[in-house]
Amino acid sequence: MISIIFFNLYMPEECLYQKFSVLFVCVCIYMFVCFLTGEVRRKSSFRQSPLLSAAPVRALIDEQISIKGRFLSQNYPVTVCAQMHSEEGDLWEAFAHYTTNASRSINLTSDHSVGGSYLGCEPMGLFWALEPALRSREGLRLRKRNVETPYIVNISLLEGHTSPSEGQSTELAAVTVERWYMAPGVRRIEIRQNKIVGTLFLPPGPGPFPAMLDLWGMGGGLSEYRSALFASRGFASLSVAYMGHKDLPGPPDIMSVANLYFKSAFQLLQDHCQVDADRIGVIGLSFGVCLTLRIATRIGVKPSCLICINGPVGSPLLDEDGKTKTIESDQKHWELDDRGRVSFRHVSLPDNLPAENKQKVKNITCPLMYIVGEDDLCAASTENADVIEEALRSAGKSQLFTRLSYPGAGHLIEPPYAPCARVSLWRAKPEKCELKFSSHCILLRIQYIMVNKFAVGCFWVFLFVCFSSLQYSLCGEVTPHPTLLLKKIPGRGS
Amino acid sequence: MQLSLRLKCLSVQPSRGLMDEKFIVLVQNALPGSQLTIRALHQCEDGHSWEAFGHYTADTTGTINVSEDPSIGGTYSGVEQMGLLWSFRPIPGSKSGLRMRKKNIQTPMEVTISVYQGHQTEGFADLVPLSGVAVERWYMAPGVRRIPVTEGGLTAALFLPSGPGPFPGLLDLWGGGGQLVEYRAALLASHGFASMAIDYLTAKITMETGKMVDNQYFETAYRVLQQHPQVCGSKIAMIGLSFGTSITLKMAVYSEVIKLSAAVCISGSHVQPVDGSVEEILRFFQKNGEKTRFSEKNEVIWRDLLLPIPTDPSLKVNVGRLQCPLLLVVGEDDQNWPSQESALDIKEMMARAGNSHLLTVLSYPNAGHLIEPPYTPHARSSTLKTVEIEEKVMCLWGGQTVEHSRAQEDAWKKMVVFLKENLYGGRNPTSFSHL
Repeated sequence: MISIIFFNLYMPEECLYQKFSVLFVCVCIYMFVCFLTGEVRRKSSFRQSPLLSAAPVRALIDEQISIKGRFLSQNYPVTVCAQMHSEEGDLWEAFAHYTTNASRSINLTSDHSVGGSYLGCEPMGLFWALEPALRSREGLRLRKRNVETPYIVNISLLEGHTSPSEGQSTELAAVTVERWYMAPGVRRIEIRQNKIVGTLFLPPGPGPFPAMLDLWGMGGGLSEYRSALFASRGFASLSVAYMGHKDLPGPPDIMSVANLYFKSAFQLLQDHCQVDADRIGVIGLSFGVCLTLRIATRIGVKPSCLICINGPVGSPLLDEDGKTKTIESDQKHWELDDRGRVSFRHVSLPDNLPAENKQKVKNITCPLMYIVGEDDLCAASTENADVIEEALRSAGKSQLFTRLSYPGAGHLIEPPYAPCARVSLWRAKPEKCELKFSSHCILLRIQYIMVNKFAVGCFWVFLFVCFSSLQYSLCGEVTPHPTLLLKKIPGRGS
Repeated sequence: MQLSLRLKCLSVQPSRGLMDEKFIVLVQNALPGSQLTIRALHQCEDGHSWEAFGHYTADTTGTINVSEDPSIGGTYSGVEQMGLLWSFRPIPGSKSGLRMRKKNIQTPMEVTISVYQGHQTEGFADLVPLSGVAVERWYMAPGVRRIPVTEGGLTAALFLPSGPGPFPGLLDLWGGGGQLVEYRAALLASHGFASMAIDYLTAKITMETGKMVDNQYFETAYRVLQQHPQVCGSKIAMIGLSFGTSITLKMAVYSEVIKLSAAVCISGSHVQPVDGSVEEILRFFQKNGEKTRFSEKNEVIWRDLLLPIPTDPSLKVNVGRLQCPLLLVVGEDDQNWPSQESALDIKEMMARAGNSHLLTVLSYPNAGHLIEPPYTPHARSSTLKTVEIEEKVMCLWGGQTVEHSRAQEDAWKKMVVFLKENLYGGRNPTSFSHL
């Protein structure tokens, strides 16, 4: 530029006009270029580096977290990736592909994923689509044992559309998120009295609180997380173990506690000074449904409401006193597929249940909500719901019955946004029970209100239940008992 | 019958948040038109209890939303979303001169928010609340790491944000009270800055040898930060409050080693013997000690010690030589330092020297000296033990609670934006092309 100017200045006189015109043009071009680079310089010198934010950054498990990435380039492909370690040390991951728009940002609550662990607009997809990373152990299922600490999830923003296993892309930004089962102030109290083995969770505050008795399935053990979440939502909640726990009498694979056990548990809640004795409900999943119905009809207590999830109205394994035989004792209704995976669905078909084992549903005097996963391969949920509905209708109590039925949902309808268990090892010998997993996941959120018209006073229960996935699973819950993990033996027909 | 027996539902969203995060306090299922008191209670680390409360009337749907409905009485009034936190005051019967400061920032501040029937003003301990919620307020976001720093004789704590980095760095200095005050550094780390809080008045080395630290101490801190593998060495800023401002300005202008990308000075002054050590500066202040005034309540007012602003250039940091952006935060009712007068003088000096484009001044009427992270309860005066005086004095800081709290919120927001602009996306001279 300078040399051109000097060259022009030293050209001979007769080219004066041309000299000045060329000079003028050069100066214009120079100014234009300066302007451009100045612009670019100004813009690029104040460009904010990419930022990934999550709000809230510490949340309850059932709370929505809004994840946003900002200060990216326009129409830029990015991958959002979530990683966490389970308590057992396994790595779980999920990722999704997004493309930024004109605002140079992505917002997971409104944008659509175009690839990865989930597709479409899924604000919480990164959490419920978590899967064990490649080369993990088989048969993993994410269940939190210690509910007093949070799940720590690292969420990162990567350049381009990649997957975390490729490990090649640049990380643009990251944020760490904590997900808690216990809200601040919730108290956890271990219960080992009156022969009850359980854990009580109390909400913060003076109370008195309505309460829930929380029952799981034949997997046994003591699962606390749903109770902890109930307490975080204002319900005192007692989780009890009834089989497969070291503090319970008898062998771990049968239920050695009888009706009196559940009565004691219910009364423990009633007698607690911070619990409103007239407002206690019972929730049961899978085999827990059978127990829930039994508690409502046979043992002399009056719950205010019942929630039954995917469970049978009776069981051949349950005898008069309430004790059971082992699930392996009667395999005639077991169904095995060609990969040796078992479905227990036909075991609980009402037609296959002896009449004397069915609970006397017509004696129920409180509202009952039955949640059905229509694709449950572990329990015949739809059929059992029909039986209960019919029994209540013929007793003139159809107003007590509410059904929530979800097409494509599986057996384990658990607290929301929890990752799906694709393969879950169960206790039963000698077959290996495996999950068949569905092709896609649906996330649903329900809020329902139950009104108890018969208890003393009125009682509103607001429960937020979300479904984590469409999954087929074993019946019963898996509490992996190290000594009872079964070995792979080819099933029938393979 | 149904309505009155519905549980009054109190919720705070989010129930676990950062200290500078807003929350929404919601009461539902109240009787429409009923009078309720929402109260916050906190017991701090030294055992003192603090409370704040607002009087509300439920609307026709039986709901109270603290972020939309006005409080008609209590420790705050009007529509104040975070009033329950910034209007905290010691419960009746407490000692005077208390100030809420968290020492252990790895645990949250636990606040219990409850709702009571009627418009109550006292005797909360004897009342039964209708509902209560526990809320946690954290200085450290998930993933932020705290690393104690002792190399080079430093007494400091480094807070690293979560993520891979590298992060811009920040040196965080407090004032004449000394001690290692970590909470602001932790909160800034939660915003993405690798922040090092430094104790330079009561450092271990000072307590052991009895000698004040020299300028090299700060340069060592700078080097330690610069050399950290997760810190971007070319993007380091410094933030100082009160006496920390004096150090910050001095380092920004005169240090050969410390090259700052930005500086934030809160409630301080540039008046000091140029090129003096920490000890010399303190002695300079003590010389003017007779200018100390006292309020009617016998609170110490130290703002006159540096007034009038001298014209002698050897008694003022030559801010005309400053090369990095400077943010000054000033409380116009500062009774402890003449921050407003100093800010005006700094502005003049920089205008004369031609670098006033680097200066931003945030001046808040009726705000006092202690401009802290948002929602920190305002202390108009509190007991203070400085390094120079043996016994505790009641020091007047100034400020009116409502305006001071608004100033804290506004200043913090603008400070974080200022730091982000200059540390995350600032000018980098080496990247200019040559035409």
